[in-house]
Amino acid sequence: MNKPTQLAPVMASVNTANGLPNAHYVDPEVFAEERAAVLFGNWAGVGFGKDIPETGDAKPIDFLGMPLLLVRDKDGEVGVFQNTCRHRGMILVDAPKKITGAIRCPYHSWCYDLKGRLRATPHVGGPGQNRHEDVKLDELGLVRIRSHVWKDVIFVNIDGTAPAFEVAHADLLERWAEFEQPLHAGGGSSSFKLEVATNWKLAVENYCESYHLPWVHPGLNSYSRLEDHYNIQKPGAYSGQGTLVYRQLKSEDGAVFPDFAGLSDKWDEGAEYIAVYPNVLLGVQRDHAFAIVLEPVGCERTVEHVELYYARSSTGTPELDALREANAQQWRGVFEEDVFVVEGMQRGRHGMLFDGGRFSPVMDGPTHNFHHWVASQVAGRRTTT
Amino acid sequence: MSDSELDQQLLQAHAEGDKAALVRLYTRAADRSETGGDLDAACFYLTHAFVFALEIGAPEARELNARLVEKGRAHLLEP
Repeated sequence: MNKPTQLAPVMASVNTANGLPNAHYVDPEVFAEERAAVLFGNWAGVGFGKDIPETGDAKPIDFLGMPLLLVRDKDGEVGVFQNTCRHRGMILVDAPKKITGAIRCPYHSWCYDLKGRLRATPHVGGPGQNRHEDVKLDELGLVRIRSHVWKDVIFVNIDGTAPAFEVAHADLLERWAEFEQPLHAGGGSSSFKLEVATNWKLAVENYCESYHLPWVHPGLNSYSRLEDHYNIQKPGAYSGQGTLVYRQLKSEDGAVFPDFAGLSDKWDEGAEYIAVYPNVLLGVQRDHAFAIVLEPVGCERTVEHVELYYARSSTGTPELDALREANAQQWRGVFEEDVFVVEGMQRGRHGMLFDGGRFSPVMDGPTHNFHHWVASQVAGRRTTT
Repeated sequence: MSDSELDQQLLQAHAEGDKAALVRLYTRAADRSETGGDLDAACFYLTHAFVFALEIGAPEARELNARLVEKGRAHLLEP
């Protein structure tokens, strides 16, 4: 990056603003800048609680080059640690596994418990001498990463500077308070991923708005028309879209998924789809929910991890297996319809004369809300460094 | 079991990743060294038995730790 990108035009009113400059989608240096300011400086999604369901389950992940270890401890809590031994910096766990006792470094066998506490330092004081006065166990636990689980999504704030999750997302927590109830992962085909040749932000931007629905998702538009949608935008936190005509999926014999308990009338035919900045896309409906974690594996490559959730467990409702399968296929089809769009926008941003684009003042508010937020995060970091 | 047989079984347990066997065999090696009066060798083997017991959550971990603590060779494992 020869000079910082111009962000003031992005932060103008939606009526006159330009979108983020091309460099925010194609320049590895800006990608690195956003990695620090946007993804590490806020509550980013990195995985799902369902992937470590039992005590001792440990799953290593790579988040933008940062090695992390997701662990379910003996209290049932999810912990996230830097997956790096405090001794010689060895990667501790290199594949998902069950930790029955301690996390043992494969190099010199320093051992940590599921809370990250250092429990053993074999031979640290010489052969058969497992202690040394200058190696203090309570100072050398695993580096814990701030984490929070909501809607089964494991959020982390890598640099530790974000407000507490409940503070950062207080408005959304209140908005969806009715859905604070157990979620049951659908299992099987309810879990899938899409690998997309795009910058992660374009997946957010496309998800936010309903403007594209009649053109890209004509099947949805047959019953869920553009005028049945409304914009959702909370400056500095989230944006998305809502529908007033959600229609439950039914099997041939009329079966539907059980509703979440105690929902108000608003949700009889209402549903909302919200991007929780920076990289988590959530949807709630009366009878199921979904979460998408966007994994930015590179400046122009993203993996979309999709999970569908229900009010009742799949083991408790085997009669709905076929309906869950149909629902998963329906959503997969919708998300696949978006692939050519986000990949096309990515290719379009190699057009050197593109100026970031202009927004529909009426239809693109949620997308501009996101651009504004990203620009604010980057600009704020530039000011402080 | 001869020393060479014990060595052979230890190598096999390492190769197979059989942690429970490693606990048992290193404990046996430690006992043998301790009986022979070689405290350093005993603590070396006890250390390995303890670490693998700790890793797999075997109940022997506490007793092995206690033996090392008794000899001034380890911190007491906290609950």
